[in-house]
Amino acid sequence: MKVEFTPEQEALRTELRAYFKELMTPELTAECNRDMGEGGGPLWREALLKMGKDGWIGVGWPKELGGKGLSPIEQFIFVEEIMRAGYPFPFLTTESVGPQLAEHGNAWQKANIVPKILSGECLIAIGYSEPGAGTDLARLKTTAVKEGDEWVINGQKMWTSLAHFCDYVWLACRTDQNAEKPHKGISMFLVPTSDPGWSSTPVVTLGGVRTNATYYDNIRVNDDALVGELNKGWKLITGQLNRERLSLVNCGPTQQLFNGVVKWAQETELPEGGKLIDQPWVQMNLAKVRAGVEALKLVCYKQAWAMTEGNLEMADASAAKVYGSEFFIEVYRALGEVMEQMSLVSEHSPQAQEHAARVERLYRTASIITFGGGTNEIQRDIISAAGLWMPRAAR
Amino acid sequence: MNFGFSEEQREVQNLARQIFTDLVSPEKLKASDDYAGERFDEALWGKLAEAGLLGVALEEQYAGMGFGFTELALLVEEVGRSIAPAPVIPNLVSGALPVQRFGTDEQKQRLLPGVAEGKLMLTAALMEKHNENPASPRLTTAVAKDGGYSVSGTKLCVPFAHRAERMIVSAKTDNGVIALLVDPKADGVTLNEMKVTTYEPQYEVALKDVSVAAEDVLAGADKGAEVMQWLTEHTTAALCAHQVGVTDCAMRMTASYTAERKQFGVPVATFQAVGHRAANCFIDVECLRLNTYQAVSRLAGGHNATNEVQIAKIWAGDVGHRVSYASQHLHGGMGIDRDYPLWRYCTWMRHNEMMLGSSAKNLAALGKRIAAGEAYCQ
Repeated sequence: MKVEFTPEQEALRTELRAYFKELMTPELTAECNRDMGEGGGPLWREALLKMGKDGWIGVGWPKELGGKGLSPIEQFIFVEEIMRAGYPFPFLTTESVGPQLAEHGNAWQKANIVPKILSGECLIAIGYSEPGAGTDLARLKTTAVKEGDEWVINGQKMWTSLAHFCDYVWLACRTDQNAEKPHKGISMFLVPTSDPGWSSTPVVTLGGVRTNATYYDNIRVNDDALVGELNKGWKLITGQLNRERLSLVNCGPTQQLFNGVVKWAQETELPEGGKLIDQPWVQMNLAKVRAGVEALKLVCYKQAWAMTEGNLEMADASAAKVYGSEFFIEVYRALGEVMEQMSLVSEHSPQAQEHAARVERLYRTASIITFGGGTNEIQRDIISAAGLWMPRAAR
Repeated sequence: MNFGFSEEQREVQNLARQIFTDLVSPEKLKASDDYAGERFDEALWGKLAEAGLLGVALEEQYAGMGFGFTELALLVEEVGRSIAPAPVIPNLVSGALPVQRFGTDEQKQRLLPGVAEGKLMLTAALMEKHNENPASPRLTTAVAKDGGYSVSGTKLCVPFAHRAERMIVSAKTDNGVIALLVDPKADGVTLNEMKVTTYEPQYEVALKDVSVAAEDVLAGADKGAEVMQWLTEHTTAALCAHQVGVTDCAMRMTASYTAERKQFGVPVATFQAVGHRAANCFIDVECLRLNTYQAVSRLAGGHNATNEVQIAKIWAGDVGHRVSYASQHLHGGMGIDRDYPLWRYCTWMRHNEMMLGSSAKNLAALGKRIAAGEAYCQ
């Protein structure tokens, strides 16, 4: 047991921090802020291509697939640093779907999609939820029906985030209506958003972030689009969600925000004299965030380490997701309190203050991952069953 | 970054777990409830000595196993898991480790082999009234005398002072803080029994012009505060490790109980409200465990660990409190029934929560360090 980075891991972190500092020009930062921290703009794409060219996408993928072959923990350091830098990294594509495709994809996908993910040329959105299938995902109704050599896809998905600028949707479809259990009749497809049968309408959320409803109208694809085995999609979905869960709760941005607010509070003078940070209640709020973020960091590192060792426990993955998603909300509240009324002043206001305006927005977006990525109720069910061997009620 | 255990570490864990499983039982623990008997098991202590575990972190030249603080912390975790009546923290962490790290060769030769063999006990007097910072004694003072010191003052909650060959006592002098090895049987020392929530033997130690010879000075005024800070951080990390064991066991006891206990014809564990409260405990214990391991690992590596120890102790306090009440609640009446084993765990969760600073106190201390620019996220 040695809970500290190796010199090599420290060197990687230092290298990445310098790299991203250079990458994040003021113009790119402004564009990312304008895009609500989800990317998709021209400078954002340019930067992604540069990262691909410099070999900084897929650092944890096997070398034979074009990656750097580093361990998940090094990959995690990469994501942490890039998120700290404020670049909305398309981790659903690169960290979550990408490795699944590299492992389970067919020859066409390995030749055509995987290299493009690594070069930053291909973006993939996730299509699971439907109007009638959320947490009970196995009830999904979108169908893929075989006609000759082709699959004909019809249906509607909800919350297809990023789809409006992605190239493909990683789409869960029903391929066997008569399977003995609903989840045994599901297959995964890569569906191009360029198909004329594909369309989307925006759904604007409390945080201002756009997500989408997406529609699939007689889209025809061949077997190249099928990922993994027919009717074995459920395992790919759960595997992807396990990977996604860790990316969702990366500690990098919170550490960065915390450090920024501390510096700001140290410099901020109170009209009655003294600095804001001298206030005991301010120190208390900051200490609570500091103690919490340390736990988040360790929970994340332990999982990255466990993935490296090949023994990631289901309960631990769920624990990280629940803890991180609920902790973020408390962070934004506690840091918002420190910055008082300024944490309600938006970045579009001339009076805006950098960190406070960020919290203004983050506080509005924070609930997404308590239910997104597998709702926390289900995660807690997994924890009590897989982590504590408690029996579960039948569903 | 490595969260796994080495082969040696697993051996220490397994050996300790085996001994505590064999020799600690609710029936035996019952013997010291309400101070009916002394909360110390001679046979168990002998077995730990025989297995080499009392010397796990002592060098081989002092009859130890030659491992480090990490291995000792893993032993402490097992003490917590079984709430064994064995004063491993006061004796091995607060007592023997500082002697090994800062003592003279003569002190080490005189005291450490006896500790490893289980024949000699050490402890440390860490608390004063309204002062829980051992590195900054306020109510204990010393003046130079015959090459040593004369020390006066009162310490509180000193564990196992009645059995100790020496107890580490910090005192204020005109030149700074010193650390002494005081003989509890020396002239001028009075031990007054205290009754505390865990039924651990603890004493109010009154010192009146107690002479401490030069050979029993652990650290002079140039180094005393540093020694006591080192001792405090190691003891705090050990309390956190104990808390990991206690909370983990209480949580698992609760999970098992709810899986067996039936109401409305089904195990109560199948109710989501029950499962989710247990899941919260699981998350809590994991956060405590990882922060504790980080603090222990940094201390073992000789790195600065002030922030990490404070953060681990904040978690130890919060998690102890929350797991204690969740466990009691989910057990229904059984959790507080003294014929069922949970309640003793609750007293130890409280002990670990409060000793050497509660969550509130550590949050305040961490807040000060943040304000001073000493606790940024790296």
